[in-house]
Amino acid sequence: MTTLDHAKVSESRPNPPKSLITKLNMGTGMIVGIVFAEVTYFWGKSMWDRQEAVMENRILTLSMFAWCIGFLIGIGAFIGPFRWLIGKDLTDEEQLFLAGKGQGVSRYFRYCTDHKVVGIQYLVGVMVMLGAGGTMAMMIRTNLITPGSKWVNAEIYNSLVGLHGITMIVAMIIVSTGPFGNFILPIMIGARDMAFPRLNALSWWLLFTAIPVLCSAWFFGGIPTGWTAYAPLSVQAGAGMNAFIVTIIIFAISSAIAGANITTTVVAMRAKGMKWNRVPIFVIGATMSVALAIPAFPSFMASQMMAGFDRTIGTHFYDAEFGGSGWLYAHLFWIMGHPEVYVILIPGVAILMEIAPVFARSPLFSYTTAVVGFAGIVGLSVLVWAHHMYISGWMPSLNGPFMVTTEMISIPTGLLFLVLLGTIWRGRPWMKLPMLGVYALIWNFLIGGITGIYLSDVPADDYLHGSMFVTAHFHYTLMGAALTGAIAGLAYWFPKMTGRMLDERSGYISFWTVQIGFQVLFLGMFAAGSQGQPRRVADYEQAFATSDLISTIGAYLVGIGMIVLLYSVVHSWRKGKIAPMNPWGAKTLEWTVPYPIYLENFHEAPVVTSDPYGYGRSEK
Amino acid sequence: MSDQHEVTDLAPTPGERFRNAFNSRDVKITMVFGVIITAFFVLLGLWFYPKFMPEIMSENMKRGKDVIVYFTVISAPIAGLVIAVALYTLLNRHHGENPPEEGASFRTHTPIVFAWTVVSAIFCIVAIVWGLTEMNVNSEDATANAKSALVVEVTGSQWVWTFNYPELGVQSEQLNLPLDRAVEFRVHSVDVNHSFWPVQLGVKVDANDRVTTLAHTTPNVLGTIDIKCAELCGLYHAYMETQGKVMKEADFNNWVTAQGGHVA
Repeated sequence: MTTLDHAKVSESRPNPPKSLITKLNMGTGMIVGIVFAEVTYFWGKSMWDRQEAVMENRILTLSMFAWCIGFLIGIGAFIGPFRWLIGKDLTDEEQLFLAGKGQGVSRYFRYCTDHKVVGIQYLVGVMVMLGAGGTMAMMIRTNLITPGSKWVNAEIYNSLVGLHGITMIVAMIIVSTGPFGNFILPIMIGARDMAFPRLNALSWWLLFTAIPVLCSAWFFGGIPTGWTAYAPLSVQAGAGMNAFIVTIIIFAISSAIAGANITTTVVAMRAKGMKWNRVPIFVIGATMSVALAIPAFPSFMASQMMAGFDRTIGTHFYDAEFGGSGWLYAHLFWIMGHPEVYVILIPGVAILMEIAPVFARSPLFSYTTAVVGFAGIVGLSVLVWAHHMYISGWMPSLNGPFMVTTEMISIPTGLLFLVLLGTIWRGRPWMKLPMLGVYALIWNFLIGGITGIYLSDVPADDYLHGSMFVTAHFHYTLMGAALTGAIAGLAYWFPKMTGRMLDERSGYISFWTVQIGFQVLFLGMFAAGSQGQPRRVADYEQAFATSDLISTIGAYLVGIGMIVLLYSVVHSWRKGKIAPMNPWGAKTLEWTVPYPIYLENFHEAPVVTSDPYGYGRSEK
Repeated sequence: MSDQHEVTDLAPTPGERFRNAFNSRDVKITMVFGVIITAFFVLLGLWFYPKFMPEIMSENMKRGKDVIVYFTVISAPIAGLVIAVALYTLLNRHHGENPPEEGASFRTHTPIVFAWTVVSAIFCIVAIVWGLTEMNVNSEDATANAKSALVVEVTGSQWVWTFNYPELGVQSEQLNLPLDRAVEFRVHSVDVNHSFWPVQLGVKVDANDRVTTLAHTTPNVLGTIDIKCAELCGLYHAYMETQGKVMKEADFNNWVTAQGGHVA
């Protein structure tokens, strides 16, 4: 079995079936979506008076949903379910076509069920979102370069803060489980595809429809509420808020579908012999992450549906004047919001746990501890949400219990450190790009974790809550730990996903620029927060000038480093060195398949006889 | 010779194994690193926060700041250990195109996992007990001073703070407080959520529409207080700030009289 044979197999192009499916792609989706949105818009305008804010919100919200539904119809997402309704199903040829068999690049623009295609779609989508969110971060920091800079006005600034926040949060939720959870995970467990390939395509294209909706917020007055979109501020906000609401509802559906799909795949489709204690740790981490998202995100969706009702049909869920409560929103939001940070964090850490044994040539230290650590975090994370509300005034007598649960999370988190340290201890770390991520995570997550302990402490939070200190803290965990893990994962799996090696020189330059810039950026922000600068301010006093200037300089370094990374990815993807099948000498299953990967991944179903961490001098 | 042979044949006791572990070169180097890094974090904690945090003007502020400084100092050995291990492994790093030779092969080490869990649990309990105690002291202070406290009604509206002293019949956009007298802030909003933050007093509470929330403190240093909004509240959130003063009782009474109020 050579690489050449494989190339021939996957290039053999079956005759496309005579079916509507072959005619549909992203372009037809957009056309139908725009037509649906326009029709809904003009129908709404003829029905309701646009002068009233409630009516305008209603028309816009319905139009945005119409766009999403129209797009999905136009790309052919509902052809399968429609056939079922009339008692039929897609023909075998149609199914092969949907899987993108032998279609080259065009399958990336179709409703394609191949998990590898969906993984690449997620990867490109995430990169675009991170690019957009990062650009907004640069604009935010530019405005804060000196006090009173007024580079942008307060209205634009607030919108930038909101859009940066929600774009990055959505991107970070999918940054690991999207590309790697779809592309790599099924191969890692020896499956031929995901459990529900059509749902897999649906989860990506649903998310895709939300991106233009979120972007449209900019033209409807932005999201001036921060990503938390606290009510009643969100009820008061302009039409851009509708885009936020629609985006979150669509995203919640998409992530529920993706979560059900990944968990089912891992539970039901593992290779023969892959018992639970032989499952690669990334698979465990990704599964726990999406499984945690399944109960968490409906709460977010509910919070936004109620906000939507308040805005579009005049209910008063969050309006105290009519008996509603802003605290209701805060609860629903944070019941999602705190598990959500672990949804982001766990896959990033798990990727680095996958990487550390390969590059230290040592077994993963105490697999059970790693699993217990993840499980402990998942379990506790649903019991801590009100630590975001210590100073909200809602029931101060419960601050104590929430402080206890929050600080208890430091114990399972500590176990994750132990696993990483035990793995690299007495190893000879091979300083390739993915391994650098392990060290960056240890430093960044340590800082993020320790500062998190202050914030979990009520008397300290009385001072620090709502300050720049909080912003610096969660960037250390989400960006410093989770994004670092995702970038390391990209460097690690790039050969498998693209067939080429990620360029090392530009990769190193990017890594060091980003990491050094990151420390400068958030050290400045810790200082500003300690001094008493509130977060989300468009302007500030002279006293914070030095700290903010340092932050902005660090931010530019991060920006430059990220541009270098983008260059590195694009350049390597097109012209990089051709990768061997297993460039890192790793032992998980994805390294046993050559590139380009056969449509159903394996010619022969693999049989697993041990866990993939049999590294080390004398394996007993 | 044969004696020695017999000695090494004996299985070492756990105590010996423990001592031997500390004699190995890698553990020694790691410990040196650990001590240096711990010292660095201790100094960082002792320097950073006192340098950057503003003047302490109440016991609440002092407690909050103490928690931050002491937690940094307490967590310094953990940070020291973690970073020392990582740094030590970097001494043996390997470059090049091919993977290094195989590393150590231990799968797990139950005593270490157990010890790590117990130690981190102890640190966690210390943090919890410390935090609960300080929080309790804060609320006991508030209860003890409830009767004698000066009541200030704080109203947040987009984008100004107003202060009403119901017992004194004064309303003002400036917050003046007498020295060493307990104060109860009764905070509410007339529109969206705000968060009332008198920075140097170390307390903070959200302002909600149609709900009154409370914050208690006792200013104990004369000086200026920065008052900010710590919850994004719309367009001019950044400018929703004012200043307050802690003044001597006599000065405060004069100010109240000048505002047309009556001194209790």
